[in-house]
Amino acid sequence: MAGAASTFPTVARVERPAGATAEPWLLRATLIGIVFVFFVLFLFLPLLVVFKEAFAKGLPVFLAAFQDDAARSAIKLTLLAAGIAVPLNTIFGIAAAWALTRFDFPGRPILITLIDLPLWISPVVGGLIYVLVFGAQGWFGPWFIDHGIRIIFAVPGIALATIFVTFPFVARGLIPLMQAQGTKEEEAALSLGANGWQIFWRVTLPKIKWGLLYGIILCNARAMGEFGAVTVVSGGVRGRTNTIPLHIQTLYEEYQFAAAFAVASLLCVLALLTLVIKTYAEWRAEQQLAEAARAPESLSTLNSQPSTSR
Amino acid sequence: MKRFTLPGFGLTLGYTLVYLTLIVLIPLSALFVKTQSGGWDHFWNSITSPQVVASYKVSFGLSLVAALINGVFGVLAAWVLVRYRFPGRRFLDAIVDLPFALPTAVAGIALTTLYAPNEWIGQFFAYNQPLGAWLAPHTPVGDWLREHAWSKPYLGRVGLKIAYSQIGILIALTFIGLPFVVRTVQPVIQDLSLDVEEAAACLGATRYQTFTRVVLPGLLPAIFTGVTLAYGRAVGEYGSVVFISGGIPFQTQITPMLIISKLEDYDYTGAAGIGFVMLVASFAILLLCNGFQAWDNRRKGVA
Amino acid sequence: MSIEVREITKKFSRYPALDNVSLKIETGELIALLGPSGSGKTTLLRIIAGLEFPEDNKSRVLFEGTDVTQLTAYKRHAGFVFQHYALFSHMSVFENVAFGLRVQKRHLRPSKDAIRTRVLELLDAVQLSGFEKRLPSQLSGGQRQRVAFARALAIEPQVLLLDEPFGALDTKVRKELRRWLREFQDRIKLTTLFVTHDQDEAFEVSDRVVLIDKGKVQQIGTPDEVRKNPANRFVAEFLDLPWSDPAVPAIA
Repeated sequence: MAGAASTFPTVARVERPAGATAEPWLLRATLIGIVFVFFVLFLFLPLLVVFKEAFAKGLPVFLAAFQDDAARSAIKLTLLAAGIAVPLNTIFGIAAAWALTRFDFPGRPILITLIDLPLWISPVVGGLIYVLVFGAQGWFGPWFIDHGIRIIFAVPGIALATIFVTFPFVARGLIPLMQAQGTKEEEAALSLGANGWQIFWRVTLPKIKWGLLYGIILCNARAMGEFGAVTVVSGGVRGRTNTIPLHIQTLYEEYQFAAAFAVASLLCVLALLTLVIKTYAEWRAEQQLAEAARAPESLSTLNSQPSTSR
Repeated sequence: MKRFTLPGFGLTLGYTLVYLTLIVLIPLSALFVKTQSGGWDHFWNSITSPQVVASYKVSFGLSLVAALINGVFGVLAAWVLVRYRFPGRRFLDAIVDLPFALPTAVAGIALTTLYAPNEWIGQFFAYNQPLGAWLAPHTPVGDWLREHAWSKPYLGRVGLKIAYSQIGILIALTFIGLPFVVRTVQPVIQDLSLDVEEAAACLGATRYQTFTRVVLPGLLPAIFTGVTLAYGRAVGEYGSVVFISGGIPFQTQITPMLIISKLEDYDYTGAAGIGFVMLVASFAILLLCNGFQAWDNRRKGVA
Repeated sequence: MSIEVREITKKFSRYPALDNVSLKIETGELIALLGPSGSGKTTLLRIIAGLEFPEDNKSRVLFEGTDVTQLTAYKRHAGFVFQHYALFSHMSVFENVAFGLRVQKRHLRPSKDAIRTRVLELLDAVQLSGFEKRLPSQLSGGQRQRVAFARALAIEPQVLLLDEPFGALDTKVRKELRRWLREFQDRIKLTTLFVTHDQDEAFEVSDRVVLIDKGKVQQIGTPDEVRKNPANRFVAEFLDLPWSDPAVPAIA
């Protein structure tokens, strides 16, 4: 499976003191310095910009940005689209992960590739394909329009485009995790007489809860932040079909920088929250794996680590 | 993993397939069909018009450069994050994912503001600053910069334009590709057995020799995968780039922008045509990546 | 080349891995470091190799009288064979064995032909002629270990250090390689130190055995000596020998 953006630790790392395999102190310091500078330049400064510019005209202007009617409707629309996309994609993610990691069937690699697809396609193309299906010149478009249902340039279109662009995330968070965890516990439950739902709720879910949580959070962050695909399907009418990112764009193009950054800071906080939860979830998962590795009969498979007899 | 021992196969696979068909397959097929609807000539013209071709160069060319930059710095960052212990390491490690979690529009306006002529970093490169003036020599790099990144002469002076130039696009594309190389290479470095490096040391290799002859070859597959991922992502990127690019035809237009402009002109077939090209390109990169991984797995044996 | 270690102390977190260990090994001897898991034997070997460093300022490692305590592994010129072979998986057998010769400083490096001759000689000595182009993944465990030996010997080390070299192999292969090691050492007379927890192996192969437990040397002697006169309770129990006399002091 291509892509490794889900990095849930699946093998505990055995620490060994580095004697002959460490770089000289000065080189290490230099490399760390270079990485620091690179990160600050590319990652940290943009963050700083958002928050500084958001408050550049002071707190009242910052707060006013959210009291604007257009802003409120944008927030509502975004929450609605995410509220539709995330639950549906979560169910999909769980179903797909279950099907792909618990069974072997022909066409499995193709399925895995299909799930990764939105990550490779430009979001603009992702929006375009829905316009081609539901737009005025699209396949089903005329039928819907005749029946008074607007898909494109309205909420359903936005929801669909959001679903398309974010459906891989929950699945990708779960698949490596469930793959590494194996099926032994579920099979044990089966032999004890549990049915499918019971196995899932009582055995699988507790094991995957952190990975699932991270997948949902990431899916949500991406859903609320989706820009390219939504630009294409929404028509960009201020106050009616603008999501938060589109609203930010509108504000920016009208030179209302402080307001634009104020709203942007909201999404920034969401992104940072995502990162915090991810770090915490990974830390917990690492701990769990370390405990399992220390247990006398551990089922974890360590790779070619040398014997630790001293 | 036994076949069908556990329950739920039919339900989960069924739901998955239906979902994928509705969300992915049907819309994608609309794309294929639409490209035919205006006839071959119209299709061919829309995807080969000079403006569109210029956008291919921008999108595909700069994405490659950005992916390569990320290749180098990504490996460095992954090594530092895995092998070294220093204050702030966890923080750096967490922040690597920022481009992945941050909405593209936010990244777009932040980067634009950061590098715009009178702001933050951009101001150091403006014409009336020493750095900007110093960067105007008659060298190949200077010539390229002048052709692609110079701001319009103002009061007879020129400076280096970062925002609204190809450099700005390059920076944005590097930003969004950063996590891909780091996160792909990190697990591989983590799994490296120190034994092999110790063996090399005992055999008389310096640390540099050990890294280049023993460690790096083992990392190359992951590096290739990461760079390919970063490339694929950069090629299709819209939100982060559209603000900083300025949208200058033939100079800083990225291909997704042209799709949107065609849609605004109600040229659905033209838009579908360009979209089709992008889709094929994305597929090609995806297959390249997966194919390489499969080849690499075969070459190493199943173990 | 003789090896001497003096007052080696090393701690890992709370417990001392090695506690004031001193030892002298004569040129050409084949010595076994024998002890249970966690006894410190591997740590001692790695300190001799330069892969780890002692903590006490008084600790010394001497190769033929020269103080090498502060030298890192790549300067010590000691051949090291790992339990899990540590072969370079992306290089062929030939390239693995040639590695130590190829990374030498330019003015010391032998010519390509000289390298080729030497590698083929060594592969012959370990009975792997014809395997030059194979990759480690295409070899059995015993074959991989023999490549590891050849690779370590390529740099013409003055001392050979083996960390449970046969531990990952199955019994039959283990016995064969044991025999091969003994014959090889008889021919070459290279000072060799190997770590094992298998007493049969230690007794069958070595000239002298060093018994280690809890970071301290418990007894040093020829296999016969140790079997006839176990120095303390640990040695007796570890070797399954009768033990009754508590008055005999342990050799520290």
